[in-house]
Amino acid sequence: MGTKVSSGSTGTKYGYFLGCVMPAKMPWAEKATFLVSKHLGLDFDYMKETVCCVRPGVWKAINPDWWLTLTSQNLATAEKQNIVIVDSCNGCYISHWECLQELKEDPEKLEMVNRNLEKAGLKVKLSTDVKHFLQVLYEDVGIEKIKANVVKPLNIRIMRHIGCHARKHDERFPMYFDEIMRATGATIVDTPYDKTCCGLLLYFADPKTSIFERIGVKMQTAKELDIDAYALICSGCYDQFERAVKVYKDEKGIAFETPIVHFSELLALSFGYKPEDFGMMYCRPIPPTKLIQKLKEGK
Amino acid sequence: MSGDSDRIKSWEKLLEAGLKATEHNQDEDAKMYPLRKQFRPAAPNIAKASLKRDFEVGLVYYVGDDVEQDRALCGLERKPPTAHTFKEALERKRKILEESGIMKELGFDKKKGYFKY
Repeated sequence: MGTKVSSGSTGTKYGYFLGCVMPAKMPWAEKATFLVSKHLGLDFDYMKETVCCVRPGVWKAINPDWWLTLTSQNLATAEKQNIVIVDSCNGCYISHWECLQELKEDPEKLEMVNRNLEKAGLKVKLSTDVKHFLQVLYEDVGIEKIKANVVKPLNIRIMRHIGCHARKHDERFPMYFDEIMRATGATIVDTPYDKTCCGLLLYFADPKTSIFERIGVKMQTAKELDIDAYALICSGCYDQFERAVKVYKDEKGIAFETPIVHFSELLALSFGYKPEDFGMMYCRPIPPTKLIQKLKEGK
Repeated sequence: MSGDSDRIKSWEKLLEAGLKATEHNQDEDAKMYPLRKQFRPAAPNIAKASLKRDFEVGLVYYVGDDVEQDRALCGLERKPPTAHTFKEALERKRKILEESGIMKELGFDKKKGYFKY
């Protein structure tokens, strides 16, 4: 267990939105996120009764009004639970955040959405807020408090993948990501592909470009640079990483060895938690065996 | 770097699953009725399998025994507190999809479990 240095609440009740990928494919990230949030004293619990965000890349393309309607179910549910929605998947964040903004700015759309939600006994009153997990950590907790809780600095080299939708507000979220990762003691290795899209949204339309010219070049670079881990925050991007690992292995016979880790796992480790505390070694396409060994040996 | 092969098997499988979830394959129909005009269905074939899962569980991925086991290994509840657990959330979603006319426009028959086109 991690050593608690300081705690305190921000006074906000946060509801963590799991989305589709995290609960099914990234249980270690889910657990680590809760360890970190509780460790920092946040009033942080699951947002319950959630449905898909719904994927803006798919639904907006089919019909923007349908996307607004279906996404609003989660907003209305959050309002009933009296919570601020916290997303760490960039796709979920952008879906909830943009939907809320559009409903705030367009009364006709709000009326249309509520007409549709009414049939399921729901209503959006615009009383909730949507935050990215990076925002909660950097803006609400603060980088100094995060640094104060780091008891086991990580002497590792990482490559970053922040994801396109985390650039919605210019360089704010990427800066948060970098500062928080550096606070753990990790060294971020800059590469020409740091801003390259993972290719997830392209996959349906052009799978070859999506895999081999987006995510593939990034993972190839990680392999060449011999870094310890690829750090990301977005579950949607993770899904694409996992897919690429399988495609490369099955169709090209190329095995990648750089483990793909969630930002929260590195934070948890730096706070003194052990890999076993959040199941770091389980259910992942690239086992982080070398990374865990390196951390245990304190190299 | 680019791929050497022309196809990606997992993508082909996804497309196949989408076509399997479609009652009328327009390419097949065209062999029988060559003068029938083809049209672009609301849901693209490549997205249909994931849309179908979304309509069935409220989320894009299932949580089965294997996932439940993984979750337990990581120290979590076996089932997440999403629509996987709260079936009323799924029911509300289905109601919204039905009553707002989205299901009809998409041509998804929830009883048969497939798209008309």
